[in-house]
Amino acid sequence: MYFAGVDIGSTMTKIVVMDGAGNICSRIVGPTGPEHRRLANEVLTQALEQANLSFGQIDYVVATGYGRVNVPFADRQITELTCHARGVASLFPTVRTAIDIGGQDAKGLKIKDGKLLDFVMNDKCAAGTGRFLEVLADTLGLELDDLGGISLESTKKVPISSTCTIFAQQEVIARISEGLPLEDIVAGLHNALAGRVARMVQRLRVEPDVVLTGGVAKNIGVVKAMKENLGYKILVPPDPLLTGAIGAAILGKEITSKAMAEGVPIERKERHLEEVTFFK
Amino acid sequence: MTQGSKGLAKAKEVYEDRSRRAKELKAEGRKIIGYPCIYVPLEMMTALDLVPYRIYGDMREPITEADRGLQTAFCAIMRSCLDLGLKGKYDFLDGFVAAHSCDPQEKAVRVWASLIEHPYTHFLDVPGTLQAGSWEYFKGQLTALKKTLESFTGKIITQTRLREAIEAHNLQRALVRELYDLRKPDPPLISGAETLQVIKALTSIPVEEGNELLRQVITEVKKRKNGPQKKPARLLVWGNTMDDIAHVETIEGDEANIVMDDHCGGSRAYRTDVELTEDLLDGLTDYYLVKLIPPRTFRVAVLGETKKDWAADLESRFGYIGEYIKGWDVNGVIMQLVRYCDPHGFEQPAIKDYFDSLGIPNTYLEHDYSEGALAPLRTRVQGFLEVIGPKA
Repeated sequence: MYFAGVDIGSTMTKIVVMDGAGNICSRIVGPTGPEHRRLANEVLTQALEQANLSFGQIDYVVATGYGRVNVPFADRQITELTCHARGVASLFPTVRTAIDIGGQDAKGLKIKDGKLLDFVMNDKCAAGTGRFLEVLADTLGLELDDLGGISLESTKKVPISSTCTIFAQQEVIARISEGLPLEDIVAGLHNALAGRVARMVQRLRVEPDVVLTGGVAKNIGVVKAMKENLGYKILVPPDPLLTGAIGAAILGKEITSKAMAEGVPIERKERHLEEVTFFK
Repeated sequence: MTQGSKGLAKAKEVYEDRSRRAKELKAEGRKIIGYPCIYVPLEMMTALDLVPYRIYGDMREPITEADRGLQTAFCAIMRSCLDLGLKGKYDFLDGFVAAHSCDPQEKAVRVWASLIEHPYTHFLDVPGTLQAGSWEYFKGQLTALKKTLESFTGKIITQTRLREAIEAHNLQRALVRELYDLRKPDPPLISGAETLQVIKALTSIPVEEGNELLRQVITEVKKRKNGPQKKPARLLVWGNTMDDIAHVETIEGDEANIVMDDHCGGSRAYRTDVELTEDLLDGLTDYYLVKLIPPRTFRVAVLGETKKDWAADLESRFGYIGEYIKGWDVNGVIMQLVRYCDPHGFEQPAIKDYFDSLGIPNTYLEHDYSEGALAPLRTRVQGFLEVIGPKA
């Protein structure tokens, strides 16, 4: 049997195809954006080609993420909160707190025995998300992927406000003109972002193990700043963008197994591998 | 109002065109008095044949004009009310009475009064604590309101008329409680969205017409076969206010029925009655100062239990919600706040402690007052419903 998890985030679409034993047969990360979200079906087609499978061979498809609502090729929609929790717990069974920082949102998940107990989520502001770093990397004339390494050179991070991305941008411009070292400014930005997310997640009463996921978890500087802000070691999965899609695929597998064990029909939708429509 | 429409259809009609009836009555010579919150004693207006008309914001209307008079990081509901006022949506009002239910309301209505001219305005101060002298002070405030209303209308509020008005509003409270009882079965006989339509209709028409509407709705709802479907979750929503059915439907979706609420756009104004005391102002003072329970009033001053016993203090403040949870067989609580509500924001950690002590799953959702806030809200509500699972 095969299962697909489709995580349509605000910035990236992530797809995982998994077999009945829980092995990942293919994994694809593609951009979302206004046009790309519609074309999530093409990302799934790529994932199927990579796994050498046809769409008909997929037994269950779970869609998650911001764009999950009108996915015509999914059997079920499950929120990214539940899917991330399940995905993280499959990779780190001892996880108690998961923090996911995506392109346009951040969430904290409280997990016990692999189950989501509680969560917090920002609802709109760019500060405390990947967008914050994108904007500030652009202001500094740096590549997003280089920020982490640069910040490790810092000896004295510059305090930057985390209230607002635009205010932070103004502060950064002022600090540059004061001639402060670039690495100290970048380390300050990571601290601002991590501090903001940490304060939001602390509402859940953070407990170890703490796992950081999402695109921002690829930035070693943010991981370091998060450790400093929370006071706990931060675990990062090898591919931190994929945990939501992995969780979605696992949940699809569990829904199917449960129905089969109970001898009831698996609740499927009439699926079509077609373009995703926008919110109604 | 369309001839012949009754019950839920009529409530929907009033909800969708709130000011129509008020404008008809105005054309007949009645005076329409706006009020923005549940702390304004409508009984006094009814006793003078004035038509109380609640001032709401509109989450579908982007706030533009209010930025001339208020900060943007300020209660969005009051900003929206002022915005609609400045856009002429409340021009038909002959006046308004506001109350100090919170600082933003006071500031917003002061700005309103300075920018929009009405023949009559009155501001009712409400003490923020219950302590020695609060009661007498507030009775004095009600006496002052009575005088300005009498001066505006040129009529006297007689004890007989005030008693009749209190009885009419008490009847409305009892009928609303009867309506809410129809949400106890599973599935509830009336949905959260339909209930909000009825409540909002009641605040748009004279009390007698509202009572007739309630009688019709109750009869219809008891008899109909096409009520809400049974859904996995039965929710209670606590918070500052809800005033748009899209907001309610965002929470209910296919997975939940809101079966009970405790917010200023729902059951709060109808929870208890005004006592018919010998001096009727005593009963009104007691009701609006003591019996109304939104978190804008700091109660620990009289109860004094906080330091001695936190659990006893929580029970004394929120025990009525515990009764709702039992009585309406609730399996999840959503604490929802339109952003920047200080009184509710300060209360939220305590009420969360209370829900936790009852072992009832709960989540806290703060959001903007706009249509755009509903999609992200949906994800958080759905996530919560996935956490609690279907009701056993």
